[in-house]
Parts: sequence; structure tokens; C-alpha cells
Amino acid sequence: MTQHKQQDDPSDSDFPWWLVVTLLIGAWLGYRIVSDDLYTEVFGILVKGIGVTTFVTVTAFTLASALGLLLAAAVLSPWLVVRQCARFYIEIMRGIPMLVLLFYIAFVAAPGLVTLANALFGQWMDAPLRTRDFSLMWRAIAALTLGYSAFIAEVFRAGILSVGRGQSEAALSLGLTPFSRFRYVIFPQAFRTILPPLGNDFIAMIKDSALVSVLGVADITQLGKIYAAGSFRFMETYNIVAYIYLLVTIVLSLLLRRLESRLRQSQSQIDPGS
Amino acid sequence: MNKVSLILSWLSLRSTSVSLPQRFLQPHFSHPAGQQGLSKRVLGASLIALGLPMSLQADALPDLKGREVVVVTENAYPPLQFVDPKTGEAIGWEYDAMNELAKRLNFTLVIENSSWDAMIPAISEAQFDIGMTGITIREDRKEKVDFSAPYMRSEMFMLVRADEDRFANAEEFAALEDGLVGAQAGTTPFYTAVYEVLDGDEQNPRIKLFETFGASVQALRSNDVDLVLTDGTAGNGYVNANPESFKLVGDAMGSEDFGFIFPKGSDLLAPINAGIASLKEDGTLDQLNTTWFLDYELGR
Repeated sequence: MTQHKQQDDPSDSDFPWWLVVTLLIGAWLGYRIVSDDLYTEVFGILVKGIGVTTFVTVTAFTLASALGLLLAAAVLSPWLVVRQCARFYIEIMRGIPMLVLLFYIAFVAAPGLVTLANALFGQWMDAPLRTRDFSLMWRAIAALTLGYSAFIAEVFRAGILSVGRGQSEAALSLGLTPFSRFRYVIFPQAFRTILPPLGNDFIAMIKDSALVSVLGVADITQLGKIYAAGSFRFMETYNIVAYIYLLVTIVLSLLLRRLESRLRQSQSQIDPGS
Repeated sequence: MNKVSLILSWLSLRSTSVSLPQRFLQPHFSHPAGQQGLSKRVLGASLIALGLPMSLQADALPDLKGREVVVVTENAYPPLQFVDPKTGEAIGWEYDAMNELAKRLNFTLVIENSSWDAMIPAISEAQFDIGMTGITIREDRKEKVDFSAPYMRSEMFMLVRADEDRFANAEEFAALEDGLVGAQAGTTPFYTAVYEVLDGDEQNPRIKLFETFGASVQALRSNDVDLVLTDGTAGNGYVNANPESFKLVGDAMGSEDFGFIFPKGSDLLAPINAGIASLKEDGTLDQLNTTWFLDYELGR
């Protein structure tokens, strides 16, 4: 069994100066929000977008993770056709900018699918489907899901491959079914490798969710765009927009680091000698 | 980002078929520099609802029998439609006009929001019934959507830094050899700058191109360029919000007409046009111009 000792992350034991600086900037902006009427007003309007941004991100990330896991399994499958199809999908999706993908899904794929569905199943439906039945928000979620599933599939693939072949063989010798092998032996070990890049993708997606504002979805960015258009106060508005995104991503970032280090500790408890 | 810049960014995508603005269709208003009260008068004058040849009595208007009409807008083009920074409510000239149309034509108004990028595609696939967002009536867009009769005219003004004293009109700017103008490629302000201000050379190095309208205004503020051409509404908003940084100078230039957009072949086009004619006829549009361009203080 080849279990490498995991190297300690030197930035783990550093005093988090970056956090101190971030908090100072945050405190200054927080002070402005409380003391300056204009900032108070902008903040009050933009926080309403947090709900939409969170909903879009969490929904799309959950769906993308599920799809990504399936894709990773497909890429590692024993069948050539399945492998090639998954690889084709991943390379295509990974290579198209998210903004372009959003426009494709919203204005090419969605109307196309509706036309196709009507042509195929129209005779069994009371009324033909209309494109307007699919809101721009769900088209945006679909685009984020499809785009990120490709990245997440690669993360899962790398994680699964990082588990030594011996683990799989040992599980096989215990007579476990392929699903049980994956569920109880491979995946729990792969998860440690997967977690940091997966967290990275999640934070990237929070930021990329700002792109859904091009479809008019009322997320933080779109509300900021509209506020700035009405008030002609661009600097103040985008200061607050950036502040809110940082608030969300840094809190998540800290949670992820804590989870990571906890997993590392439990790992060293399992293999004290290694 | 304001709606003008979004319109302009759309124009830049369609730059192959941009036609020059109609020139000087409106009487000119001289505009003494730096006086805000007067700049508002010019602004009001810059947006003049157009008359229609036919004349309709209000009681002869079509009756839509309460049917639901979904109108989409972005709320990012003050004072046509925008979110009031103080209350968070969506208000503006176009909301008032559309509510009045709903009353006169007896339809149920449903408002939806979308962004400018999404609007023309969404209307052309009939996802919404009407788009209202200060959309310039243009031949190339008529391939995708139907336009209502024009309900408003907008004109270009010169936006400069508040301390600018080297020029006060287009001729003086053209004579100023190191004067730079900021614009987006292929947009109405770009062509106005080339053909009405400068020498007609689209490669003129005195034109600096920017990605968005907001970016060109920031470049003006930071002294990278000396002039930005803008719709009177947006220009006045910038001046009101930053009176220490900007002012408007010179006469109105190239003009554009605004219309509502519909999916191709929409049966709402004729009733709405009849409604616009009746709003024009009894002076409702003039009243809206007064309310939103003269009385309402933008950016305050």
C-alpha cells in the first residue's frame, strides 16, 4: 500500500496577515456603509441580490457536481464510446467562455429545444410549449451547470486517479461490488484531493454568476448596474458590489480551509506512523 | 452602466449597417456653458415627441378587452425607466406612458425585467409582447422586430470637463489640434464625431475608442480624452451627479427616434400605434416630457 505522507501547507501555520488587511478594508467600507447615506442606500438595495446570487450559484453548483461526477465516471469507464463522448463534451464545454455559453443556451439552445419538443411531442400536448415558459434565470442556471460540469469532472477524475490502484484491488479482493468499491473505498479517499479544487470552482462560480446579469437576472451585479444607471454613481456602487462578493467568498474560503485542515488531521490520525 | 451605452454597445455589434443620424431635424437651442438650469431646458427640448399624421378620437381606440400584455424593460435608462435610488421603485416616462396606454386600450399590463443584451433576441422569439427601453428605431433592427411609431426624439450633446475653456462648440473643438474625443466604435456618437465634428476620416487618430460609454466618461474625467458625445439625458445625469467634474457645451447634434419593439407580425402593433397617436394628440406626451425632463431632478 503506497500511502505518501502529505506535506504540510506552510501557509497553514503563517499568521493570516492577508485576512487582517482584508478585514481592515472591510471595516473601512463597513464604516462608510454605516456613516455615509449614499453607501447605506446602495448597500440596502444590493443586499437583496444576495438571495438570487446564492440561489443561482448553489443550484447550479449542485447540479454541476452531480453531472461532473457522472462525466468523471464516464471518462474512466471501460467502454471506448462512453469515454470518447465524455471527453468530447468536456473539451467543448471547457473551451467555450461562460458568457458565450450563456447566450448560446438562452437564445439558441432553449428556443431550439422548445421547437424540437413541440415537433416530437406536440400531438400529445394540450398547448404547444413556449420559450417564455422557461425563465431566463433557469436558462442561466442551465448554462452555469453545463459549463462548470466540465471543470468539476476533471477535478473528480484527478481525485479518483490519485487513489492508489492497490486500494481498488484490495476492495475487489474483499468481494465488494463496483458501486460499493467506489462508495466506501475510493471516493472517501479521493474526496481529500478533490476538496480544495472543488472549493476553488465554487468560489469561481460565485463570481461567474455575475454573468447571469446579462440575461437580466436580478443578482447582485444586475442590481448594481441598475442602481448606477439611476444614480450615476458608478464608483460607490461598484465598491459595494465588490464588498458584498468579497464578504461571501472570504467567509466561504475560510470555511473551506477549516474543512481541509480537519480532513488532514483525521488523515494523520489514521496513519500515525507514515 | 446606463441604457445609452448599452444601446451603443448593441450598435457597435451591428456596425456594418449603421446609417448616419438624420441631421438637424430639430430647431437648435444655444446652450450657454455651465448653467444647469438652462441645460435642463435644452434637455427637455432635445426630446420631443413626434406627431403622427392620423388623428384619432380617444373613444375610437381599439379595445383589447383586458388581455394580458407582457412588457419587458431593463430599468437602466433614466428618466425613461429606472429604479428610484431613494425608494427602490421602478419609475419613469415610459412607465407612465405604458400605464396610460393600458388604461386607454384596456389591457392588463405585466412588467418583466431583462437586460439590454437579452432584449431584442427575447422579443424576436416572442418571449415578451413589447420591449420598452428607449430603443432607437433602426432599419437593421427591423429585420428582427417590429417598431411602434416613434414616441420620442433624442439628440447628441457635447460632454466635457467642468474646467474646459479651450472650446465651446464643435467647430472650436475641431480646430483644437490636440483635442481628443472618446467614443465606442460603430455607434451614433462615433459617427457624429467623425462626420459632424471632425473631418470625416473614420481612422482619425483624434478618436479614442472605448469598450463602453461609462469607460469613455471615466477617460474624460481622468484627462485621457477631452470630449464625449452623449444623449442629452445621460449627459445631464452625469453633470447633475458630478457638477464639479462635467458640463455640457454646444448645440444639439445628430438625432434618433425611439420606439417600442414587438415580435414580427404582432397584432398589438396597430392598437399601440393608435394609442401613441392619441397620447400625442391630447398633449399627454408633452406633459410627460415636462414631468420627467424638466421637473424631475436626476442624479440628486
